[in-house]
Formats: sequence, C-alpha cells, structure tokens
Amino acid sequence: MASDRPVREAENRLERFNGDRERLLSEVERRVVARRVGESKSGGDHSLENVLNDVAFNEIRRLDTKGGNPAADRWKDLSRRLLGMSDEEKAAELRKLVCYYGQDVVGNFDPRVYKFATGIGPALLGFVFNPITSLRQGMDTMRNLDARISADGDLDLVRQCAERGTIVVTPTHSSNMDSPAIGLGMLRAHLPPVTYGAGKNLFSNPFVSYFMRNLGAYRVDRRLKFELYKDVLKEYSTVLLEHGYHSLFFPGGTRCRSNIIEKHLKLGLLGTTVTAYKNSVREGSPNKRIYIVPVTINYRLVLEAETLIADYLADTGKSRYIITDDEFSRIGRILEFFRKILVHEGSVVVRFGRPLDVFGNDITDDGESIDRAGRVVDPASFLRGADGEVTDDDQRDAEYTRALGRRLAAAYPKLTVYHSTNLVARALYDAISKTVGTRDIYRLLRAPMAQLGVPVADALAELVRMRARIAANPSFGSEHPHYIDQSAEAKLDDAIKGLGTYHTRPAVVRQGDILQVDDVKLLYYYQNRTAHIPPEGNP
Amino acid sequence: MSSRGDTVGIIGAGSFGTALGSVLARSGRRVILWSRDTAVVAAIQSQRVSPRLPKAPLPAPLEATADPKRLAAEARFLVLAVSSTNVRERARELGDVLDGSHIVVHAIGALAAPTNERVSEVMAQGLPTLKLGVLAGPALPADLVEGQFSSMVIASAFDEVVAEGRRLLNAPPGLRIYSSKDLIGVELASALSGAYTVALGLADGLGIGPGPRAVLITRAVAEASRLGVAAGAEARTFAGLAGLGNLLVRSAGDRSADYMLGRRLADGIVTADSARTEGARAALAGMELAGKLRTRMPMLQGVAAVLSGKLEPKDAAKLIGDTVAVEE
Repeated sequence: MASDRPVREAENRLERFNGDRERLLSEVERRVVARRVGESKSGGDHSLENVLNDVAFNEIRRLDTKGGNPAADRWKDLSRRLLGMSDEEKAAELRKLVCYYGQDVVGNFDPRVYKFATGIGPALLGFVFNPITSLRQGMDTMRNLDARISADGDLDLVRQCAERGTIVVTPTHSSNMDSPAIGLGMLRAHLPPVTYGAGKNLFSNPFVSYFMRNLGAYRVDRRLKFELYKDVLKEYSTVLLEHGYHSLFFPGGTRCRSNIIEKHLKLGLLGTTVTAYKNSVREGSPNKRIYIVPVTINYRLVLEAETLIADYLADTGKSRYIITDDEFSRIGRILEFFRKILVHEGSVVVRFGRPLDVFGNDITDDGESIDRAGRVVDPASFLRGADGEVTDDDQRDAEYTRALGRRLAAAYPKLTVYHSTNLVARALYDAISKTVGTRDIYRLLRAPMAQLGVPVADALAELVRMRARIAANPSFGSEHPHYIDQSAEAKLDDAIKGLGTYHTRPAVVRQGDILQVDDVKLLYYYQNRTAHIPPEGNP
Repeated sequence: MSSRGDTVGIIGAGSFGTALGSVLARSGRRVILWSRDTAVVAAIQSQRVSPRLPKAPLPAPLEATADPKRLAAEARFLVLAVSSTNVRERARELGDVLDGSHIVVHAIGALAAPTNERVSEVMAQGLPTLKLGVLAGPALPADLVEGQFSSMVIASAFDEVVAEGRRLLNAPPGLRIYSSKDLIGVELASALSGAYTVALGLADGLGIGPGPRAVLITRAVAEASRLGVAAGAEARTFAGLAGLGNLLVRSAGDRSADYMLGRRLADGIVTADSARTEGARAALAGMELAGKLRTRMPMLQGVAAVLSGKLEPKDAAKLIGDTVAVEE
C-alpha cells in the first residue's frame, strides 16, 4: 500500500494534537474567511451582511426566548451595527466570529488522561462499578473487563489502514454510551484513538465530559443552525483529516430512536472526507488515503431504551432532536448500567467492517481502491476533469458522499451482532403478531394482555427458526460469537433475565409455561435490531 | 484537433450510434465511434460510410476505432449505444480502460438482459466511474440522418453529467438535448414505452378506433408513472420525451419491432421467446417490478398475459376495458 506518511505516525497521532491545535484553528479560520469573503462578491444571500445577520438572528432567537437575556445583547448589538459597517469591518467581524466558534468547537488531548483511561482507568472503573466483596472477586472483575466489551471483524485490515492512511470510523448510534464503548472497542482492537464530534449536550454530564474533553472530542452544538457555524465545523473536520487525525462520525446523526439499523444517513460531516482527500490530491499527495470503516455497536441491553422507544412512538418523537432528560443524564442509571449490564460477558460487541474509500469503493488488502468489478482504480481520478486537473464541484462531491452513505447503510445489516435479547424479542414479537393478526406496533400496543402471552414451547420454536435463518444468510448479520453454540433454552433464559431485570418495567416475564409480554414497546425496541430480516415466508 | 473534453466517444456503431455520430460530426463536434467490428471501422475510415447505416453522412470530425484504449484516452464523455443484451459485456470490457473521471451515458431504451435491471445499474457494476446517465427520447436514426428536428433528454444524479451532455450533444436544429435529474424515471419511462408500444400494436391490430387508442396512450402514461413513483422516480418524467415521446414515435408506424410484435400477436401469430422484442421483455419485467412494489398495472398485465399465452388478445382488451375508472 502506497503512503506519503511513515508507518510510525499511525501510532497515536492525537499525541501531537495539542501542539497542532493553534495551527489547525488558524487554518480553519483562514479557509472559512477566504471562502466567505470570496463568495460575498456575488452579493445577495452570500453578502457578508447577510452571513453576519444570519448568525445574529439565530443567536438572538436561541438565547432570548423569553426576552431580557443579557447573553443575547452581544448579538443584538451586532445586528444594530451591521448596517453602518464598512466591508472591512464586516470582514473583521466575520473573522472574529469564525475564531469564536472555532474555539467553541476545538478539542483537546491530554496524554495523561488517555493513559489513565486506557490503562488503569478501566480496571478502576471495574472496582468502582461492581460491589467487590473479596479480593478474589476483585481480581475476577479485572480479568473479566476485557470480555465485557469485545471488538471483532476485519481488524487486521483496519489496523493496516490506520497505519498507512487516515481512518474514519462510522458506527451505528444507539446510545450515549456509544462513545466510551467504541473507545474501549478500539482499544481492544489495538487501534489508535480517534477524534470525534460529540453533541454539546453530552458535555453536561461532568464524568463523561471530563474524559471527552481530554481525549480529542470536539463539541458540536446542534442548536446552532446557521451556515457559518456549519462551515466552521466542516472545515475543522476537513483540516483534521488532512492532517492525518483519525476521526469518528456517527453517520446516522443522533441516536437511533427505534433501534432499527440506520438506513438514511446524514451526510454532512461524512462529506468532509471527499473534501479532505480532494485537497490532498490537489496538493500533490494522492496517496494520502482516507478510509471509511463501517462499524456496528451491539448492546445486549441499551441504557436509554425506554426513553428512546417512547420518543420514537410518540407523535412528537421526531421533533425531540436533542433529548436532555434521558437515562444518560442520571448518574445513578449510568452506575446501574455498568453494574448490571457491563458485568455480563460480551455485553457489548463492536464489530468492524471492511473499510471503503471516500467514494464508497471497496479496497484490496493493500488498501487500493477497487471498482465493483474488482479492478484497481485510482481514487484521485474521481476528482479530475478532462485534462487531469482536480476540479471543484460541490454537487458531484455530495453525490459521491451519497454513494458512500448507501454503501455504509448496505454494510451495517451484515455487521449486526445479535444478542439473546434481540433474538428472543424477535421470536416473541413474531409470536404475538401471529396471535393478534398484525405486525403493526400501534395495534399491538392496544392488544389485550391475554393475547400477549406466548407458550414457552412456541417461543423456543420461533427462536430456533430465526437462528437457523440467520445462520443460513450472512447478509442478515450473525449471532454473538461467544454464544453461537448456546442452546435455545439457555438463550431464552438469558434474554428473559436481561429484558426482565434492568429496565424500570420488565419487557417480558415468565409465568410457568407462559412468557407474558409486559412492555410491548421495549419488546419492539429490542426486536427492531432484526427489522431488516423479513418475516418468515416474505421474500 | 479538439481536446479530450470536447470530444464525444460513442460505443457501438449500430444504427443509433452511427446516426448520433453523424449529426454531431455534421455540427463540427469531434466524435470517436468505437466498434468491435473491424470491417465497420475500416469502411468508415476509408470510405466515410457505415455498412450499418449507409445513408448517414460521416464527415471528417468523426473517426472510427476498434481500440478501446484510444477511445478512453481521447474522449472523456462517452455514449453507450449497444443492444441491451450486450450491456454487461461491453461495460466489463470498457471498465478495463476507463477511470473515475469518465462520464458514461447510455442510450438504451430497454432493461438489461437477462436480469431486467436498469441499464445504469448494470453499468455501475462493470464500470469504475460513478458519473453515469441516460440519454433517451424519440430520436429515430433516420430522422437524425436526415437532419430532421429531433430532441432527447439526458438524466443523471450528477449535474456535471447533464451539463456536459447538453454542451457536447446539442446540435441544433438536428438534435436538441433537454435535461433531467430523474435517472430512474427516464430509464423506466424509456423501457416501459416499448412495452406499451406492443400494447398499441396489438390494439391497432384488433382495429380499435382513435378514441380508445387515445385512452390507451393516456392510461399507459398514468400507470407507468405510478410504477415509476413507487420505484423512486418523478411522475412527470413519464409524460416527457422518454415516456410519452417514445411511445408516440414507436407506435407511429411499422418501423418499431415492438409495434410489429403487437400486430403479429393480434393476428394470432405466436412468437417464440427467442424472438421477443425489448418491449416484450420490458412488459414481463415491468410486471415483476409492479408485483414487488405492489402497483396496479392493468394494461401492462394484459400485455404480459398475452405474451405469456395466458390470455387471448381480444380478452386482454376486455380486461383493460373492465377496470374501474377512478380519479385520474
């Protein structure tokens, strides 16, 4: 695999981040200001007056919802001064704002915190989060920690890509625990740490915030919807990639409310991979490759399942873009999550897929791009015009990113790992659907309790058939590798235990020979992980 | 000599490819016509005449070659004009010499055999470039050769493909190029118009009057739009050049194989599977797609039933007449 970069740089590149920080920020500032000033010459929506007014208007609306908020005064003042400003003053104001938002976004990397988090941190967490009653139990806790979050998949190839180019990890997104889970997963996989954009709301939890602030995360404030902020954010991501910082995006955007594997991906930050690669090609470094790694994070139980599915099913679900009052905001629930969930062996599986190039092409084992017929192609050629020159075309690049998004969405189902909770929830959902005569969740929610009881024998039969279908069709995903040989009875017991003990209300309880579904919403949530597997008999 | 960016490469020296090359070359555009048949290439190069379309003037800006490397090196914009049965093979062959910078549009008004996928889907499997598109519409080779007023539509998800297509293929007054973003719609409209041409041939063979014929045409557009929308296309595309335009021209006389197949079916002549036209295949494939997308297609259903021997032609007409009229 050709590379412009020596292999040794593949080691934790974030260690040099703090030294690079100011240079990166000034590069972001230079590019955004130059672009905006250049575009302003065409006037209209692109005029600096319009850009600045857009910022002021949105900030006043965000901050001054009830009136009289002094934080809004700065923006009201800007709005008032705008009309009297010269072009030079507007450009200076623009520069100031770009710096301001750049500073708001930029992350930090403290090697000491990283050492703690990756060294003794997990072991300490193990002691903290488990009631240790003896030395022996404590030792067991430490030994078992590795088993709780496991990483598998195409790890060798991902490691090679991380050595020879820049990787962008793109996981599915179910929970606010995804960030620590993927961080630990990458550690288990001997992959270098990545920088990533985390919702600013996550920084409200002081425990999580401390680690995120010091491990390379940058802040994304989803409340800031004006173009200038998005510009700063995208440029920051582009510059990071160009400088070889491995990154992570959640292409699904916010946490998936339904637990269905994401199909429609948000392409905003993902598009910065094409831009970063284009800039490298233009600078004469076409071998500075960027690799996109599809990843699924698969939980036995999801911390925020109850809130997320309730939000999904509520009429207003889609409008609650940022949920600030879920289980993640309650420290007690997080402790309980660690205590009850992470003690279960293999309770989180992080599966890494085969990397793609930024255009969605597959790659060889040497990291070269190949087309769908398996021929090696030069990825730089996708950005060149008739005479071999690198051309700028935002619409083309957006279309390339959509192609990449489609490839990622297609990769996720087969990378899905099913826990007992998913399989048993699906078996029970299939069984009650047959009894009630519909798979429609809203009708099932209204079904009488009597129709929500499933004989254990029927549930086992459904479970056996579902496992056989998954084993026969790799495109559906696969069972948890530790439990492939587990008997159906044991799998059922494990799932009932999980679904019945962690959440505030059990999803299902065993009453003699009957499995009584108590919370259809939760059952629906866990079975949704299998939603891409059609019901039996349907093609 | 024109630059690579100003040259159009045409893959396939059949009647449409040659006619397109002719109209472009006459407007001064440099064209490289690629054919695997060295005899055709030699005839064009030495005598300026194609044995496949002898009446087509082929002035000097048009060159012929059998060398795909030369085609790829000298033209960035390529038009694939081969039979639907050869798409897969040609795409694989071309894929060896193209790269991600090339733009390839196809001019095939059918679905690709034997899988009945859209041609652009098959191209995507065989070509390295993602910049793909379709060129469709009622431009018959004879009209292009005679310099008659013809129009086509170019569609792609990439603005660059459409813009380059319009810049390079516009040769007014002989050929005007409209634009669209609806790749799926233009491909489906063009392919399905062949199926409905079979239906119109059949209806004409049964001697229906101009009123019912007009009903058939408008209902064909309506049900094709329905299928298109279910497949992700825009309804209005089916009333445009690729849909209604193609249907009108193909059913206007005896020049279309699809139309003549319909006439033969009306006369009770059973056609062997191997002799089926692209329109016949599109009818059967369209029904398959309609089944998957749960779309009601009574007219296509009638054609498919006659083609598969499940229904007599006169009963098919009755089937269509018996459907309940709903809001248009």
